[in-house]
Amino acid sequence: MNPLPKNTPGMYRLIVAHYLISGICFAMLAVLLLTLCGNFPSHYFAPGTLAITHLAALGWGTLIIFGACYQLLPVLLECDLYSTKLPWIVLALFLPGLFCLVYSFWIFDPGLHMQAGGVLLTSSIILFCVIVFKTAAKSKVASAHKDFILTSCVWLAATATLGTLMVFNFQYAFLPKVHLHFLRLHAHMGIAGWFLMLIIGVSAKLIPMFLVSRNQPSNLLSWSFYLINISLLLFMADGYINGLNLKTHLMVLMMLCGLAFYFVYVHKCFRSRLKKKLDIPILKTVLSIVFLSLSVLLLPVIIQFAVKQSAWSVKLSSLYGMLIFMGWITALIMGQTFKTLPFIIWVKKYEHLSGKARIPMPADLYHAKLLKLQYFAYIAFCLSFFAGFLLSNNLLMIAGAVSIVIAAFAYLGNVIIILTHKTTVKL
Amino acid sequence: MKEFSITNKSSFKELQIIESLRTVLDPELQINVIDMGLIYHIDAEPDSDAVKIQMTLSSLHCPMGEAILKSVQNRIETDFPGSQVDVQLVWDPQWTYENITEEGLKQLGR
Repeated sequence: MNPLPKNTPGMYRLIVAHYLISGICFAMLAVLLLTLCGNFPSHYFAPGTLAITHLAALGWGTLIIFGACYQLLPVLLECDLYSTKLPWIVLALFLPGLFCLVYSFWIFDPGLHMQAGGVLLTSSIILFCVIVFKTAAKSKVASAHKDFILTSCVWLAATATLGTLMVFNFQYAFLPKVHLHFLRLHAHMGIAGWFLMLIIGVSAKLIPMFLVSRNQPSNLLSWSFYLINISLLLFMADGYINGLNLKTHLMVLMMLCGLAFYFVYVHKCFRSRLKKKLDIPILKTVLSIVFLSLSVLLLPVIIQFAVKQSAWSVKLSSLYGMLIFMGWITALIMGQTFKTLPFIIWVKKYEHLSGKARIPMPADLYHAKLLKLQYFAYIAFCLSFFAGFLLSNNLLMIAGAVSIVIAAFAYLGNVIIILTHKTTVKL
Repeated sequence: MKEFSITNKSSFKELQIIESLRTVLDPELQINVIDMGLIYHIDAEPDSDAVKIQMTLSSLHCPMGEAILKSVQNRIETDFPGSQVDVQLVWDPQWTYENITEEGLKQLGR
């Protein structure tokens, strides 16, 4: 029996397609943010914001996670992927669904396109969950990573289902409460249920692997798992019945404790690492954790303002969303792409030459200067855009948006450089 | 791994193989497979073309596993033309961070 995973040409094309398409979505997202900048909506429930948020969450965040999962699931679960054909169907349903949804949000037409987008995306997501669950069923590994990944898929399916119901509700108005009420639940199922669960599960394996950490206290991850899920379930139940209220602070506190356990785990991995030198992709990962911390620390403030019915709750909610999508998730993906994609390409281009001749290493496949440009442009975006948004300063926001356009195109350019890398070594 | 013995003829060839394998790097950490502690056993008789290498990987289902095994095979075939290389992957004993040598730790920045 050969226990080592190997990508078939079909799987290679599939994974590479996910990285490329999500990079294009990131560039589109940056351009849309720039076009919106002169007249940035004051409320998060506005056509432009909805379009950008869904492009960020689905086209940029979720799509690249799907692609990375097809590569990483065999590593994390120590078994082969359930199917190599179904992921193509997932992608074929996902892409038209994504563009229907984002376009209909942008022009705000809650008709057939938006509904078709919702149905296509939900079907695609459910099929993805089937692949993950069937793969997990073959796996004999029992680990915290597996629990996190499986639970994240349940939350993702729930997020997509509620989102599609909300899309139909625009036209048929059958939901028992107002739209904003469900939007809060939909957003948090997606953010804490899908992204947070999945990212904790995968990073808990990858961070110690890349840092060569001696200490990986997995009991901390179990605490994190239960606290985050229980707080999220309580938030869903209480949030549905009562909306935001003073009790919500308790649920946020529970969520923060769950996150604290994860942060302690990451800290212990860093403290016990054998690899001392940190590269840019790992620095980006650290930056992403800072953004996650900042955004969750905003939650008690937002709840307090919401209970007092202050207008600041809307402004800070928008900032919270931006810190999540453009801060935490974007920094993480921008960093981890250059930890995973070069390896996938390297195996394809150099595996047969390895040991026979002097060949480049995976880290040599991307353009180092472009990576630096992307890193600094992204930091410039964070500083000026978030400050501009808080101070309602259009000039700072535009400067920030220009920076993210530079960062996004530098990222996309570097992804294309890796994908089009030609083997120059000959024997 | 076997100790070097001046009275054992095969030791010289095994030493040459170890030096040859020091040029095979783990693609992520960029430490050679000897200092990573991935090579468990080398069997090479001086009068024979057969070279047997027992080695492990840092994790089960390692995505770079196939590449590392092939590198080891290719390196020996290139440096010892005509040799019949048999690279065996073993999981017992399981690799741990303690397998990394002092030199490997230095290369990691310690």
